[in-house]
Amino acid sequence: MLLSSVVIILREVLEGSLLMSVLLALSWHRGMNLRWSWVALLFGFLGAFLYASEFEKVSMWFDYVGQEIVNASLHIVIVLFLTGFAVLDQIVEKGYTKTKIIFMTVAASLTIVREGSEILLYLSGFLNNNDVLPSAILGGIIGAGIGLSVGALLYYLLTYLIPTYARKVAYIMLALFAAGMLSHAVTMLTQADWLPSYHVLWDTSSWLKENSLLGQLLYAIMGYEATPTAIQLAAYITGILLLLVLPKLVNKLVGLYAKNK
Amino acid sequence: MNNKSWKIIFLMMLWLACISPVSAAPEFKIEIKNHLFYPAEFTVPIDTKIKLRIFNRDPTPEEFESYELNREKVILGNSQTVIFIGPLTPGEYPYFGEFNPKTAQGKIIAK
Repeated sequence: MLLSSVVIILREVLEGSLLMSVLLALSWHRGMNLRWSWVALLFGFLGAFLYASEFEKVSMWFDYVGQEIVNASLHIVIVLFLTGFAVLDQIVEKGYTKTKIIFMTVAASLTIVREGSEILLYLSGFLNNNDVLPSAILGGIIGAGIGLSVGALLYYLLTYLIPTYARKVAYIMLALFAAGMLSHAVTMLTQADWLPSYHVLWDTSSWLKENSLLGQLLYAIMGYEATPTAIQLAAYITGILLLLVLPKLVNKLVGLYAKNK
Repeated sequence: MNNKSWKIIFLMMLWLACISPVSAAPEFKIEIKNHLFYPAEFTVPIDTKIKLRIFNRDPTPEEFESYELNREKVILGNSQTVIFIGPLTPGEYPYFGEFNPKTAQGKIIAK
């Protein structure tokens, strides 16, 4: 019970913690004020609490698939705001700070809403069970502690690197995060039968099982799937393109437009 | 393509997905009672989309999860939910209740 609690909470906290660290490191390198993180945390926790409270109602929407639709939408909106940030960050190095901060804050808040609500729902199941509640909470604290520590380590690593390397690493992590988010969103929509279902493309569970500790960690960091479908792969690639390729494309277009003016 | 075109394309795809008819997938019922699945094991046809209707008769939430099926969903206490799986190739697809993994286990066999 303790161990499964640790893994479950760790997984959720790790995703949010990694995103915050990467965005904070990018802000730091740009010389931005880091206070937006408190706003993100505040709105994130409030939102998570609100969502978990209304979860029963939401679950019944759209013929009992409301949960998938809302979660998938959250994931997609998070990726859209991260893309907006990436594009803006690429075309304007030192400017539009307020807009960049708004994009980061929204993306981070919604991620915390998503992860936080899952944690709250998980823990709510143990409220009436005084036998396992202490170990569930203890496991949760340990899991959260590990997740936050990894995030802190990542932040210090990224701020220690020189700006060019830090940006490269940070954007690769953002791209993998976005890819995982979109792939997961697509899985949820398939689960809800809002997207068509396809056969599985390959099975790498003989190399790395999804339910191993490393598998779970890779799932949190980059959305690792042992048995992906074509549509999941397409979503995954889209996430990477949106964060790594689109900003450069827009930058080129803006440059060309400015030249021809 | 710029950001706006991508958004438009996504919205069109979402709209198409919404209006596409929900096909009559065969429905299978699972009940959760005392942190156990009933039936724990059952057989479904291959190459078909399947609708699972899961009733959680316990007062506490459970999370239906399966790595092999690539599905996970929280079901609150005293509630029901719907999950679509498939099309499946022949084989065994274990699933479990993530909130009570020691007891809540089951298997879907695709034949």
